[in-house]
Amino acid sequence: MIRNKSMRRASLVSSIVVTGAMLLSTLPAQAATPGVTATEIKLGISSPLTGSAGLSYGKVPGAMKAYFNYINANGGVYGRKITLISRDDKYLPVRAATETTNLILKDNVFALVGALGTATHAKAYKAAALAANNVPDLFINTGFSGFTDQVKYPTTFMVLPTYAMEAKVIAKAIKDNFPGQPSVLIAQDDEFGTDGVAGFTAAGHKFSVPNVLYPQGYFSTPGRDAAVITSLRGLLAAAPGSKPVIVLFGTTDVTAALLKAATAAGVEKSFTWYAGSVGADANTLLALGVKSTTIDGVVSASFMPDAKDLTDPYVKQFVDINTKYNKGITFDNYVLAAMNSAMLTVQALRAAGKDLTREGVMTAIETKGAKFASAGLVPLGYSATSRIGYNGYWVSQLNAKGEGKPFGGKLVIYTTDSGAGAVEVSTFVRPTMPKNGIPTNS
Amino acid sequence: MSEFITAVLTSLSSGAIYALMSIALVLVWRSTRVINFAQAGQAVLTTYIGYDVIQKTGSYWIALVVAVISGAVIGAIIDRLFMRPIFKRVNSGPIVMIAPVAATLGLLGIVQALIGFKWGLTNQSIEAPVSTNGIKVLGSVIAFSKFNLLVLVFVSVAMLLLTILFQRTNIGLALRASAYSPEIAKLSGIKVDTVRTLGWAIAGASGGLAGMLYIPGYFLYPNSMDLLLVFGFIAAVIGGLESLFGAVAGAMVLAFAINFATTYVSPKLFFPTAFIVLVLVLLVRPAGLFAAKKSRRA
Amino acid sequence: MLKLTPSKKRLLLFIIFGWILLVLSNQVGDLKLYQGSFVATYALAITSIILLTGYSGQLSLGQSALMAVGAYAGALTIFNAGFHPVIGLLVAALVAGVFGLLLGLIVARLSGPYLAGTTLALAVSLPTLANQFPILGAEEGVAFDVGSAPARFGEDFSQYKWYFWIASLAALIMVWFIANLLTSRYGRTYKALRDNPVAAELSGINVGQVKVGAFAISSGVAGLSGALLAILISGVSPSAFPLSLSFSLLTGAVVTGVYSLKGVILGGLVLVAIPEIADSLVSRIGGSEGFTTSLPGFLVSALLILAVVFAPNGPGSLIKRKHHKK
Repeated sequence: MIRNKSMRRASLVSSIVVTGAMLLSTLPAQAATPGVTATEIKLGISSPLTGSAGLSYGKVPGAMKAYFNYINANGGVYGRKITLISRDDKYLPVRAATETTNLILKDNVFALVGALGTATHAKAYKAAALAANNVPDLFINTGFSGFTDQVKYPTTFMVLPTYAMEAKVIAKAIKDNFPGQPSVLIAQDDEFGTDGVAGFTAAGHKFSVPNVLYPQGYFSTPGRDAAVITSLRGLLAAAPGSKPVIVLFGTTDVTAALLKAATAAGVEKSFTWYAGSVGADANTLLALGVKSTTIDGVVSASFMPDAKDLTDPYVKQFVDINTKYNKGITFDNYVLAAMNSAMLTVQALRAAGKDLTREGVMTAIETKGAKFASAGLVPLGYSATSRIGYNGYWVSQLNAKGEGKPFGGKLVIYTTDSGAGAVEVSTFVRPTMPKNGIPTNS
Repeated sequence: MSEFITAVLTSLSSGAIYALMSIALVLVWRSTRVINFAQAGQAVLTTYIGYDVIQKTGSYWIALVVAVISGAVIGAIIDRLFMRPIFKRVNSGPIVMIAPVAATLGLLGIVQALIGFKWGLTNQSIEAPVSTNGIKVLGSVIAFSKFNLLVLVFVSVAMLLLTILFQRTNIGLALRASAYSPEIAKLSGIKVDTVRTLGWAIAGASGGLAGMLYIPGYFLYPNSMDLLLVFGFIAAVIGGLESLFGAVAGAMVLAFAINFATTYVSPKLFFPTAFIVLVLVLLVRPAGLFAAKKSRRA
Repeated sequence: MLKLTPSKKRLLLFIIFGWILLVLSNQVGDLKLYQGSFVATYALAITSIILLTGYSGQLSLGQSALMAVGAYAGALTIFNAGFHPVIGLLVAALVAGVFGLLLGLIVARLSGPYLAGTTLALAVSLPTLANQFPILGAEEGVAFDVGSAPARFGEDFSQYKWYFWIASLAALIMVWFIANLLTSRYGRTYKALRDNPVAAELSGINVGQVKVGAFAISSGVAGLSGALLAILISGVSPSAFPLSLSFSLLTGAVVTGVYSLKGVILGGLVLVAIPEIADSLVSRIGGSEGFTTSLPGFLVSALLILAVVFAPNGPGSLIKRKHHKK
């Protein structure tokens, strides 16, 4: 029996009031193309701003905004200013799902750019019904080759080379430079890591011991990194006199944890460390407490020029923009990659023409994307049948200053595919940068 | 054999840190019959303060002292300005059962949010003052560093000081009396309120020490001590919530159980072991493994 | 003339409310439907807390873990075993209920902070199990797919409206069921237990049994709400059920009156509204990333403390006091 009448009345009334308020604030029907007006284009990005991945990737939205602001100050895209709405997903698939849904439902963005993370974006794509809503999903910040599946992800365009490609290049680098050494793969146990595993298998590379696959977040529990290092020492004991190659296919926080644990155990120089591109940013590693003596000599791979290389015209231009439009943020490889993606985005928007539609921008990338100007040292692979961006890597080695220089002193570009194709040396020369970094394509 | 030694040493190191947290929880429990869930927030706050001190002075030791002192001050402030008014207001009805838990949980959330406001949420790190590399013993490197040794030394000294305080001084006597029977203590002239605040201050100091000793191995972010809180709680329950000795002993039991389970059975058993140990103790000896009294007052 | 007994009145109320929701769902946009689904889900989760804490007096911080159990059970039923989504929801409630029964057997003897701390430990440890067993899919989790709306509703039937219908229907049915439970003899037993366990025992109530029963039913409700949440985020993963969820739910319950079911909808609304309020606060006064992300947590915690201190018996008591002053 409902005894307390006034209590019940109060709750009922307040429920109705709040519900009414929320309903009355419902927006009227939307314009034909969401996110586009005569003066503005709204883009959205869901990425980690805080949390373990936020340390590395937290700069991405700000860097993209800086480039967009630079373009806005120089006429925008056919007079429209680009607004980037950024939401924090903490590298958690669940949050990526809700924040991406918010970007579409609440913020009404025209397109998504730079969505980050394999598990995060896979979940977000489905939860926010991007396919059903035909929302362009441009230049995603992940290398999982599954995203090239146009049936599952009809609106997605990659930019990073796939992890399978990277694995194949790593396999070749190990074969060429560290022949006969034992090798171990430590990888994140989800599609990101297994994509790499597939690449190694496709390249025919056999590791000496079973792969160490860890679930995301595994190393936040104390003692686990030390345990892995202990097991690696078993490798040393089993093959005395060798210098095993440890391939780290995870995020920067994990690379840092393992390198630190190895240093603590005094064995960091007993191995050759090969850090996959996702987890190899030297600045972040140093910030996370890895000693510079440990970083010195770590092998990695990249497809961009090094952010410290001011002789590169793209790098120099982006550094300028960063200084003017992104005050207080140190320019590094993440900022470089972000601005590069922003430049690709602007070219895509321009190529779609003044009558900007979602379908139009996707067709534009398919037909003209391969010729877009960018800082990447490897070719872009967009076509009517391919959603792959960059398709290769060059092998780098870090020094104690955290700079990535070509391994062996000479820059060699490898290109390949995500399947069984061979790894080939490429003679690709990238397009000249548009004047002042402002695209004028159409 | 070396696996065994490693497990023992790692257990001692982690047990020492759990002990600091469980001491803090037991101290507050004994004086106010409240499990201070906010301890995780207080400890992480003092560690952030320590972090700031390191940024300014470059010295871990100064930061340690500042952290401990500010821990005491913050603990006292929380008792005076927060817990006491709440208990005065909320003293009847079924809410009495919920109020202390809700209050400390709410406080935890507020402290962590305030830390986020001021320091942001990106992970920071604090460097240990001594080497964290394994010590070389008889030619091989063991999983015990100078820092681990430091932690053990600090915890032992803290334990010693606290024991002396509680058993051999008048203040300690007052603390014990007020915890055991506040009415009688008041009658014999003890300022129960002041003594209680003192208990919170000591607990806060203990938490401050725990934070500065724990974080150098990991990262500093607002939630970085939540796990330690849970383990401190489990350790305190195992030990019986009644004595400092129990708190430390409980911490060691927990640490050994976890470390041996993960070393010899499977690393996946880290959390499940902790939970199982807790449940076992609650089922078999609810008063705690080391409590003198049989009954467990809720 | 039909005699409207209280229980018939209640049924009518629920049916009318359901009808209103149905009509409303055709008027509002996807965003409101999406938010509305969360309101329904949270309201259901809060209901489980009302039963467990408000009525049977057991303060548990483990609702998020129980929601996770239900969500995984339901997801696996649909995904791995291929059953119909409705079966998935039923399994979610059942499995969580059984789990709650077992849990209750363990913790029913505990009270106060012991219970709180133990359930806290549970809430922290249980999600990590998802990383241990590959079938649970680690951080990627397991998909919870209720499919699209049946074809006869037409092509334009929004996916969000479908979720809203499912969530509201499930919540309405379950809350109605619990409301009946709480106004029955069982409800009075729970209250007797909460207010004076010794007297309850003396008057012949088997305290242990009743407590465990309450735990089981509450867990079943929580499990169902967990499954609903998994639908909305299109899958279950450990990070979907963090400790902070338990905490928010408790706050929602206390703020809107933990001793009565009347406030659960308001509680759900509060939980959905807080991030929105934080969002608009931030856009008005700006702030760093740390501020933006920590603000909702701050609001929830502050709300909890204010509620405990000023309105421990829910907002209704505040209004009652005003009435009495007149």
